[in-house]
Amino acid sequence: MTFASIEELEEALLGARYLPDRGLATALFLALRLEKPLLLEGEAGVGKTEAAKSLAAVLGARLIRLQCYEGLDVGHAVYEWNYSRQLLHIRAAQEGTLSEEELFGPEFLIRRPLLEAIQSDEPVVLLIDEIDRADDEFEAFLLEVLSDFQITIPEIGTVSARRRPAVILTSNRTRELHDALKRRCLFHWIGHPSLEREVEIVRMRVPGVPDRLAAQAAAFVRGLRRLDLAKPPGVAETIDWTQALAALGRPELDPEVVEWTLGSVLKYHEDFELVRDSALAELVEEARAVRLERAAGPAHASA
Amino acid sequence: MPGHGVVQHVVTFGRILREAGVEVGPGRVADALTALDAVDLTRREDVYWTLRMTLASRREDLEAFDRAFAAWFQYAPVSPPLRVRFPDERRGARARGDTARGGDAAAPGEEPTEVGWSAHELLRRKDFASMTPEEFARARALMTEIAAARPRRRSRRLRTHPRGTVLDLRRLARASLATAGDPVDRRFRRRIDTSRKLVVICDVSGSMEKYTRALLLFLHAVVGAGRGVEAFAFGTRLTRLTPELGLRDPEQALDACAASVVDWAAGTRIGASLKTFNDVWGRRAITRGAVVVIVSDGWERQDPELVGREMARLARAAYAVVWVNPLKGSPRYQPLAGGMRAALPHVDRFLSGHNVASLEELAEVLVGIGRRHTA
Repeated sequence: MTFASIEELEEALLGARYLPDRGLATALFLALRLEKPLLLEGEAGVGKTEAAKSLAAVLGARLIRLQCYEGLDVGHAVYEWNYSRQLLHIRAAQEGTLSEEELFGPEFLIRRPLLEAIQSDEPVVLLIDEIDRADDEFEAFLLEVLSDFQITIPEIGTVSARRRPAVILTSNRTRELHDALKRRCLFHWIGHPSLEREVEIVRMRVPGVPDRLAAQAAAFVRGLRRLDLAKPPGVAETIDWTQALAALGRPELDPEVVEWTLGSVLKYHEDFELVRDSALAELVEEARAVRLERAAGPAHASA
Repeated sequence: MPGHGVVQHVVTFGRILREAGVEVGPGRVADALTALDAVDLTRREDVYWTLRMTLASRREDLEAFDRAFAAWFQYAPVSPPLRVRFPDERRGARARGDTARGGDAAAPGEEPTEVGWSAHELLRRKDFASMTPEEFARARALMTEIAAARPRRRSRRLRTHPRGTVLDLRRLARASLATAGDPVDRRFRRRIDTSRKLVVICDVSGSMEKYTRALLLFLHAVVGAGRGVEAFAFGTRLTRLTPELGLRDPEQALDACAASVVDWAAGTRIGASLKTFNDVWGRRAITRGAVVVIVSDGWERQDPELVGREMARLARAAYAVVWVNPLKGSPRYQPLAGGMRAALPHVDRFLSGHNVASLEELAEVLVGIGRRHTA
């Protein structure tokens, strides 16, 4: 599946129930068009991972995800040999008839996400999630993979991609990435969405939610982000919370129901206490006063 | 490739960006041109996003990018980034060997007088605040040596090791070919140690002035000794200094620090600065699993309670917290300053940092430090 214009991609993503702003849509479009990896950065919960999933959905591609962590190594990211099978195979074979090439052949190879993505015949979106958590050595290795889209396995040789996977990297910026890696990538910073867009996203993700409740919840969360919180809630939290509110069958916010359910928005006890004790009533008041111009169809881009 | 006019425009824009302080290589300009080819040039918004994601690669650059973009499109003048010069007298005085600072010799810190101490030993024990420029230069050389000390952590990677505990299966499978599947030659591997993250937050307020230069030079050496170090400075507000201290030349690095710290040698707001650190950097998990070193005399003018609260937050995320206070070098020192007292319950090791010997001690502590015991 290819997209001729940014609008076409926007339309398709909307169909996959993902609502990017124009900037993100442009980023995804160009990543596909230029066949370059896209580095997405932004606060937690703004939809970085979700962007990759939705892209895979609209491309009809398989999503292969590599979750990074400190100490991630080649054995977990690229490939590993199936040693127990190898040993059994040696046992079963007649003495002296088994060659090393045979033993280190493809059937004994366990493919981990990177190799899987490179060897795949079907279209693939490769999501390298939270790259900043992996250590430097792995980043350097990744750089090689992303420049040539090939992987060298000593026993087999070099495996090149038959078709380049679309690659999305996400980072929470726990540390600065190597410039060399960044140079390979398009870069896009995802901020919190505008109120209108967030309401749209909530309505899309929580089917059947009353319009008024969606708008008030989004406005309330927006108010929370203005406060001095240890961990301001992201869009993911707004969605979770609205789901909880909708499940309780309330048509709109009131201080009582907010206090019951605030735990799905604020994940730190200090934040919870701060809001409950000082700002709750005010924020509910403010959120209840919100009036939205009903956006018809896909929301409009905002720079 | 877009038409000549566009190429001209983008190249010019690249130059404007560089002037605004964004690093733009030729490769990025080429990317921008290829990308512009794929979008509708009449839509200003798309042009904006396309240029932004090809030419800027750090969040810190986005503001400069926006200013440059506005200047380019709307012919608005580019306002240059704010620059503050390093207070000249301090640097000049040190460099030129001015003796006007001789009056400082009586500042905190003991002057070792025992007979028979080598000059080297004397230098190690001498308070930074009372050093002559020559002594300072020699002390610098010593500091570079001890700066390489780094806390360690266990990596998840395995290396072949004679006392390893994990069987090297890849090697075993290969070796077993010769023995018909009997695992005769068994090699083992084990996890190896790598450096742990180190975060240093340095007080550069007025009350620390006599030590700031020495400690920043030490910090420069630490940053230069390997990756995984983050450096911050604060007076009334927090500034990240890692990129500045990454410059190879120490004098240049210090100049760069002075240029980015706006509140050099002014007041102190430890609590507020720690809060910024926790909010902005702690949230990105820079603190998690790191050894955090705070260098400050603990003079909080505003709100000791806030210091305590933010220290608690910091200590919860960090692997261990070390507080370095140059005043502690004095035998008569007692932690009476409000901020210091509020912070101490959350500190694992409390050290001085007034001379080379105490920095050596810091280095030793950093190498051997264990996880903070949960209170």
